[in-house]
Formats: sequence, structure tokens, C-alpha cells
Amino acid sequence: MKLKRIMAMFLVGAMTVGTLAGCSSGSSTTGSQTAAAGNSETTGTSGEAKEFEGVTITFFKDTDFADEGINAVIALAEEKYGMNVEIEQRVGGADGDNIVKTRLASGDMADIMLYNSGSLLNALNPAEYFYGLNNEDFIQTYDETYQETVTVDGVTYGIPAASTQAGAFLYYKPDYEALGLEVPKTWAEFLSNCEQLKAAGRTAVIGTFGDSWTSQVIFLGDHYNILAAEPDFAREFEAGTTKYANTDAGVKSFQKLLDVRPYYNEDYLAATYDDGCDMIANGEGTHWAILTQALSNIYALYPEAMENIGVFGVPGEDADDAGLTVWMPSSYYINKNSENLDAVLAFMKLYISEEGLDAYAQVLKPDGPYCIQGYNLPADAYPAVKDDMQRFFDDEKTSVAIEFQTSVKGSNCPAICQEAGSGQTTAGQAASAYDEDCKKQAVQLGLDW
Amino acid sequence: MNKNKIYTMWFVVPAMLIFSIFFLIPLVTSLFYSLTVWDFKSYTFVGLDNFKMFFSERSLSTSLGHTLIYAFLTCGLKVILAFFIAIFLTSEIKSRNLLRSIVFFPNLVSTIAVGITFAALMHPTKGLLNQVLSVFGIGRIDWLGNSSLALYSVIFTDVWKGVGVATVIYIAGVQSIDRVYYEAASIDGANGWQQLRNITIPLVRPAMNSVIILSLIGGLRCFDLIWAMTGGGPGFATDVLASVVYKQYAAGYYGLSTAGNVIMFLLIAAIAYPLQQFLLRREEA
Repeated sequence: MKLKRIMAMFLVGAMTVGTLAGCSSGSSTTGSQTAAAGNSETTGTSGEAKEFEGVTITFFKDTDFADEGINAVIALAEEKYGMNVEIEQRVGGADGDNIVKTRLASGDMADIMLYNSGSLLNALNPAEYFYGLNNEDFIQTYDETYQETVTVDGVTYGIPAASTQAGAFLYYKPDYEALGLEVPKTWAEFLSNCEQLKAAGRTAVIGTFGDSWTSQVIFLGDHYNILAAEPDFAREFEAGTTKYANTDAGVKSFQKLLDVRPYYNEDYLAATYDDGCDMIANGEGTHWAILTQALSNIYALYPEAMENIGVFGVPGEDADDAGLTVWMPSSYYINKNSENLDAVLAFMKLYISEEGLDAYAQVLKPDGPYCIQGYNLPADAYPAVKDDMQRFFDDEKTSVAIEFQTSVKGSNCPAICQEAGSGQTTAGQAASAYDEDCKKQAVQLGLDW
Repeated sequence: MNKNKIYTMWFVVPAMLIFSIFFLIPLVTSLFYSLTVWDFKSYTFVGLDNFKMFFSERSLSTSLGHTLIYAFLTCGLKVILAFFIAIFLTSEIKSRNLLRSIVFFPNLVSTIAVGITFAALMHPTKGLLNQVLSVFGIGRIDWLGNSSLALYSVIFTDVWKGVGVATVIYIAGVQSIDRVYYEAASIDGANGWQQLRNITIPLVRPAMNSVIILSLIGGLRCFDLIWAMTGGGPGFATDVLASVVYKQYAAGYYGLSTAGNVIMFLLIAAIAYPLQQFLLRREEA
């Protein structure tokens, strides 16, 4: 009958419309699309129009990177340029990598994104997605080593987000003073310190395997010692002529993961990065192998704890050659297809200008020396950085981590280090497992292993 | 006659179109890309290297074993536990409807929420499970950190969540058994246990077959619960095929992860299809 027919037609129409609505662009997170200029109000209007009044630029960062410093620079930019900056957070670790790669591939990225420098940048295919900075003046102020890590095929893409940092041991100074211990210069000294701490009832080493990326730090932080034994290791590793499993120093790096196992806290497999910050700040554990960006996270929560925390590099075999493995900071990369390129460039220039760095340093002290030439550590830098880390830089006992020397870094490194750290494999097995894992990356990059 | 045939064919076309665009074509192209090293922009043909790597590299090949353990254990536990719960819930008890709702409730909750909740409950020091155990004087158990125990903890959680659906299917099966059989058996002097063994179990076989097939295939494909609880850890102890494929994809090895997907497809087909034939044959008999 006619009514039934009309109903049927209507339902078919509704179903089609519903399907099409469901098929449209799915990303629904706020502030993820580059907004058209002039669609947001700015705060603090003065009489004259500011240069980028009403422009909104979007920012994509991971939650492990402290916010306070960025917010200080954003406030400065709003005051100076009248622009509005929206921050979108993502998780860190492997899931975060996945989100970044997917959003880049689908063309759905914010104006500026925060990501690692070095080999991980290579893996993103930067020429395809990021704005090259070769014509900008401000890259002239970059430290050379840093610039190498954000340059791919001759084009520089990155802007340093923070100072350099190190992968090293944070240690709780009062425990050392209480037991009369000295900063270890060799691995054997370190283990004997741990033994004494354990005998005194302390948790000698904090483990935070709940965030699996932290399990790699002892291994990656040992790179200085590998280079001390084999200076060409990184190049030969990339060429496939040497492996971790058949290099003494390489196997020893993995062995260190096993050596600390008896000294971990009871819940080391479930404790998270945040738990680790709490523990070291409150003295519930004595050593923590972590990237020194943790100093900023700790400072944001427990500013008065900073004078109790010191830093030393992962000790090696030679007492005279105790060095520090340094990480270049994560960098900001500008979306090639950003609609607000001028505003973005202005913001970035401000960020690494002295004004911007001062604003940042007022809220968050650096976790290591800066990558901008001519900008020195402020007088009130963390004691760990000023007294402990600066010494390594002054004595030139530093090397960059392996991920800045070669783009072959296995994606399963955290899991392999977790396996070794929880006692499921021997050092030799872990080393060969990591070599096999790197083979996948080598194959993907087209290297002939 | 001819007019009828043309009528029915046209109705199939829209569905066939969606099916082939979203399933058939990707299936064929993934069979192709699994033979390459691929980065979404270009590909290099490498033949069966991806498959070889899957079977030779330890982190990838152990996941096959874990997948099979996971699938068969969850399937077995669900089949057995759900059956007894269903028998209980079809007997004459007062709070029958309430209990049925309670048993089915875990299935309504998001798997990720269940995973995160149980991971928190199983925390070695702060988790509720260990705190309860210490009240009873039993020492702390590292549910998700002990590499030999972690997979079974996840299996336990999966069974907790999935037993509801299986129970509902069984209840439907048990209720469809004709009362006449039970009356005849009780006249002949059979007790409860004998009735269960000789009437209920054989006649609930269609429901049991559904449960077996559904939970086995679901177990072979399970990803979200494992990812939410352990992320494949500690180390690689709880990695299954689906999580390994996801990890390879996240790392950017698109050809390798497609090969993993093909292996998963072949594995499920190789297990599920003969199993279904076997079970259906027994059903008819």
C-alpha cells in the first residue's frame, strides 16, 4: 500500500544518510585539525592589533614531556603576537609512535608536533610531511651535533624542544651520605654500593617496567662504554659487519640489565614512570636509571627534592673513563601542510630565542646543557645538572646515544630489555635477540644485512 | 520462474559490493603485500622472506604457541564452566533471573575497561587480589609480572568476561530439550547425575558446538584484552599473533605485519573449518 511504500523509501533514505555520516572523517579529538585563521578570540587585547591576532596553531605532544615550560612560552607568544596555541596530548611509548605514524600517513597532523630526533625521525619519512628549515636563519644557532640528528638527506627539520639530557643513574644523595658511599666509577663499584644499600634495608635500584621504555635505559645508557671499547661500533653495526652478540662490550651491556635484578623494588614489573619519579623524590629507592628529563617531572611535583638528587653516567670498566651517554632533545617538526605557516615559524623562532629560553627556564630548569650555541645554563639549574652533568661535558666525556648515530634501532628493544631485566633470558640470548630485531629494521630501511 | 531468479539476484548486489570492497579486495591485496617490504609509498618484492622471518625469529614464533594455548584454554574453560552454570541456572531456583543477569553482566562491559581494571587488581603490591591473599596468609603472587603465570592470568580474565555469552547459549540449548525425556528417565529410575550424562549432554550438543566454535575463533583472534592488561609483556611472555601483528604495524614494518595477518587467517581457517565439519557431523549422528 502507499503508506508502506513511503515508509520504506524513508527508511532507505535514512539508512543511506546514516551510513554516509558514519563514513565521513572519523577523527573527533579537539583541536586536531588546523583551524582556519581568525576563528578564535585572544586574551588581553591591547589597543593595537598584534601580528598574529586571532590565529590558532595546534600542537601535538606526548604526556611524558613536561608541560610547564611550553606553557610559559605559549603565554609569551600570546602576549607578544596575540596568537592562540592549543595543545593536544598523546601517550608516549610504542602506542604514541603508532598514533603519530598513522596521523601523518592520513594527513591528519597538527601544525607542530613533538617527536624524537635521530633515527626515529628517519623512520617517519620527514621529506614527505615536514617543512624543511634550511632557509631559516635561526638554524645557524644550532649546536652541530644536534643539527646532525635532525637533518635527513641534507635538509634540517627540527627545532630543539628542550635542553640535551642524559640516560644515566639518578641517585638519592641522603642514602649515599648515610652509608658513606661514593659515586661509583666502575660497574663493580656500583654493584657493591647496591649490595651495601640492600644490606641496610634500602631499595637499591628502582625499576619501572610498567612503562616498558624505561627498561632500556641501562642498556642504551651504556653506549658510552661500548664506544670506549669499540669506537666504530655504530657505523659497523649499521653496515651489518658487527653485532651486539659477538662484541664483548655489547654482551656486557645486556649483562648489566641482569646484574641489577636482585636490587629492584618488589613491584618493578608494574611500577610506572610516575611511580619512579615519586619514589626517587621521596627517597624510597636509591638509584634509578632513567633519562634526565625525569628531573623536570620531579621538579614540577617536588621542587624541594631537587637538592637531594644527583646524577652519574652508567659506569663501565675503566675508572678513569667514566662517561655519560647523551640524548639530543626531542624536537618540534612543522607540518608541511600547515595553514598558519608564518605564525608557526614566528612561534618557533620565539621559542629558541633568548627570550623564549628564559621564559622556559624560569619554570623548568634544563635537564642538561643546551643545544643552542651561546645560551648557558642558568645559575639556578638543578644541582644534578649543574654540578654532576656539566662536569662530564666540560671534561668531554660524553657520547651521543646509538639512536643518534645510526637509524637501525630495533622496535622490540624495550621488550627484550624487559625480558633480560626480569630474568627470562641470559645476556647472550638478549644480545642475539636484539640483533635479530634490528635486522627487521635494517630490512625495512633497505640495508643489506 | 525466470522472473523470480532475476528478482533475488539484484537484492544480493549491494551486499556483495560492500563485501567485496571491504573484505575480498583487501584480502587479495594483503596476500600480495605480505610478499613485499612495504612502506605505504613503495614496495620491494621479497617473496616468502617475511614468512620465514615470522617462523624463525623467536619473538614472533613464540607468539604462535601462545595463541594456541590461549585459544584452546579459554575455549575449554568456557565450554565446561558455562555448561555447569547453565545447568544451575535452568533449575528451579528463586533468584534465577537475577543470577542470569549477573552472569551475563561482564560481557556488557568494554574489554579494555575490564583489562585495565584487572591489571590494577593484579598489581603486585597495590592490587586488591594480593591484599586479599595476604589477609589469608598466602604470600604475594606476581600475577602479570611472572612470565610463566602472566598468560594464565589473562586467560582467567578472558574466561571471566566471556563465560556469560557461553552460558546464555547453553541455557537456550538446555531449555530446548523436551521435558518428555526427563519424565521418561525418572520413571525408569534414573537419578539426577545419570539424567545429566545421558540426556542433557547429548541433546545440548548443538549449543555446545556453537560455543566451541565461537570461543575458539575469538580466542585465536584475541587482542584487546591482552594489550590492555600486559601489552604483550613482560618481555614477550603474553604476546599472541594479533598483538605481534599490531606491534609490527606500529613499528612501521607494514609488509611483515601483513604477512602476520595472512598467517593468522590461514591458522584460523585451518583450525576452524575442519573443526566445524567434525562437530556438525557428530551433531547429525
